[in-house]
Amino acid sequence: MAVAPRRPRVRRWPIVGDPPYDGSRIPERVPTILDVPPHLEDSEDVFRINFGPNHPSTHGVLRLIVDLDGEEVVGLSAVIGYLHTGFEKTMETKTYWKCVTYPERIDYVGYQNNELVFVLAVEQLLRLEVPEKATWMRMLLCELNRIHSHLVYLGTSALELGAISMFWYCFREREMILDLFELVTGQRMHTRYFQVGGLAEDIPEGFYPECRKFVEWFPHALGDYLQLLDRNEIWLERTKGVGPLSAHDAIALGQTGPNLRASGVDWDLRREQPYLAYDQVDFRVPVYPEGDVYARYRVRMDEMAESNRIVRQCLDRIERMDGWPWIADDRKVVLPPREELHTSMESLIHHFKIVTEGFRVPEGEIYVAIESPRGEAGCYLVSDGGPKPWRVHFRSPSFVALEATPTCARDGLIADLIAIVGSLDAVMGDTDR
Amino acid sequence: MSAWEDAPGFVSLREGPEMPTVTIEAGQIREACLFARDELGFDMCVDVVATDYLEWGGKGVAGYIGTASGRDLNAPAAQGLQTLPALKPKRFSVSYHLLALRQGAPRVRLQAWVDDGEPVPSVVAVWPTCDWHEREQFDLMGIRFEGHPNLERLLMEEDWEGHPLRKDYPIGGEPVRFSEET
Amino acid sequence: MADRLRDYGLQSERLLWPTKGPSKFEEEMGVDELEQALGLTTLEKAVRWAQTKSMWPDTFGLACCAIEMMSIVSARYDIARFGMEAFRSSPRQADLLIVSGRVAHKMAAPLRQIYDQMVEPKWVIAMGACASSGGMFNNYTILQGVDRIVPVDIYVPFCPPRPEALMEGILRLHEAHNAGVPPAYERRGVAT
Repeated sequence: MAVAPRRPRVRRWPIVGDPPYDGSRIPERVPTILDVPPHLEDSEDVFRINFGPNHPSTHGVLRLIVDLDGEEVVGLSAVIGYLHTGFEKTMETKTYWKCVTYPERIDYVGYQNNELVFVLAVEQLLRLEVPEKATWMRMLLCELNRIHSHLVYLGTSALELGAISMFWYCFREREMILDLFELVTGQRMHTRYFQVGGLAEDIPEGFYPECRKFVEWFPHALGDYLQLLDRNEIWLERTKGVGPLSAHDAIALGQTGPNLRASGVDWDLRREQPYLAYDQVDFRVPVYPEGDVYARYRVRMDEMAESNRIVRQCLDRIERMDGWPWIADDRKVVLPPREELHTSMESLIHHFKIVTEGFRVPEGEIYVAIESPRGEAGCYLVSDGGPKPWRVHFRSPSFVALEATPTCARDGLIADLIAIVGSLDAVMGDTDR
Repeated sequence: MSAWEDAPGFVSLREGPEMPTVTIEAGQIREACLFARDELGFDMCVDVVATDYLEWGGKGVAGYIGTASGRDLNAPAAQGLQTLPALKPKRFSVSYHLLALRQGAPRVRLQAWVDDGEPVPSVVAVWPTCDWHEREQFDLMGIRFEGHPNLERLLMEEDWEGHPLRKDYPIGGEPVRFSEET
Repeated sequence: MADRLRDYGLQSERLLWPTKGPSKFEEEMGVDELEQALGLTTLEKAVRWAQTKSMWPDTFGLACCAIEMMSIVSARYDIARFGMEAFRSSPRQADLLIVSGRVAHKMAAPLRQIYDQMVEPKWVIAMGACASSGGMFNNYTILQGVDRIVPVDIYVPFCPPRPEALMEGILRLHEAHNAGVPPAYERRGVAT
């Protein structure tokens, strides 16, 4: 089904640079299925293979049905759903407090961003004001999580393309970040530190010096990675010009985040629609116009450096907030401090109601979007005024990123397909929810 | 935006805290989406969500703490009127979240209301990204999108019966002690 | 005597826990007779020892636990010291299936197929709460415990388990195998 023609309009911002190709490479019949061209349909050379749900790449349970003519990819379709967990339905049966543990497991590499988007949605429906310390700490943790996510992307992507030692280097820094998370929240992954109203607990002692150590060390680590990969001829051969996606195709396919910025569209929700305190920190947004695997890699590398800067700025701010409140004061939503339960009857009742029935969220529907490491992660929340959500839907960036696979893999080789799927950085938990 | 009143199939506009919600006649949603993309510059379709409002308002929210317009934290002892959620026109709402890549990131939610079995025109021709979104909503909610080139189950198995996210579909799983409480 | 046993490299657990006593393997053999018996061990015991030293896992990472499983390969929680860093992509070459993550009904058929393709002896570790029992998901799509379709040897709880927890699970499997505990399919009498 051809895309309906649009009126030609001269666009300047946000598209930068020249497109890697003219026109559109989105498959005509079905945008997400690359069909075998008619002249090859009856040919005996076309071989259909199944990149089954269990495969050597580290991207989880994605199934690709690939038609090959020799080494060339002539047909491609993706089958997903092997990790469908029914998050949305399960969350409808839990109170909002219990619900917060679920969004983390959706995008299990950028887990705190998913927590954040859900918690922000509930807070906006409640019209709850979050204290400043909580906002800045959330920002710090989300940026650390962005670095973590990009490290996992880099390690696994490079591993698949054969640069195996990158895996160990990236995971060495990842362990440092997970140590920081463990210090603050008690858990390495799925930290469940964000609460409706602020943070679950105060920031423990000893966090700031440890975080500073990481922030001072990380640029050296980034330098290591750049030394290993950036001028590496094999890496450049395997990533430059592979899987191009023009800006118009990327917008038509709903891409967001690093995939969109690597296609030459200067769009970052942290700058355009600032949430938390992103309008008070200074950071660059890297944009590359080539739209290939190398551009996506460069965007993510630059983003890691920028996230490091943001973490440094957050640390400077939060260090002066010792003793400030970390959660909102609204007793109808937030549990009262335990000391009060001994003396105040109202606190006891509030505690009881919040724990047993859950706090009620006013009726309404809301869609909140943030810039997660994969792109625009959104939460659409419909509340009927009760203690459990009526409908929760997560707009997952990986779901949309995988829709671009046939467009990127068109006219490519099968080895390029691995590079492309890796560079789109899709997490299957996020895709299948 | 008063520009929305020229949209084909326009029914009503409701301002929201984060974006306006424009209700569109279900049969004309494709024209409305073309209008949004070409006239108003909403280049990107971010999400397509379907919501099932079966038994909406059935559970009373007695003792709702707050007033009819929401909660006012500053009002002393804001105890409230018992509010019942406003009734919905039909069983399913299909919301299209759109984003314009401009200064200020304007967003809008186009909403179409359908009953069980009523088809909705597909907008894959307007934004190719809606392909999988519509397939997912068909799979999980059972809403048929007319004109979709490949309307098949996406997340569940091909031979799965039923549409899991509907309100009359049970949560499933196995019975666990003490799991009936909140 | 303890020093000499360690020199033979026979108790990997001792390297992690210096205060740990003799394992089941040594207790059976008898600490004092080990030196005498070393050259006269049964072929079965020697084969079992060799199998534990190179039990190659299959790349079956499904969800969040897969990320923690990847970090046991990383330098801090090095699994290469136990000979297991070679994650085989083909189930025919793998000995150990670490089911890491939640198993949806759609994935249950491929999981069983992978398990069937593995050649005996084979072991299964259910890593994490979701693989052990369905975890926090009790709904229409998640298998409530992977032991409903494959026989499981070791269950490693938590969500997701720390890499050290997974290592403990793996080492207990080694210990059990050294002591002669048969793999789960033999114990359960189920089709392999």
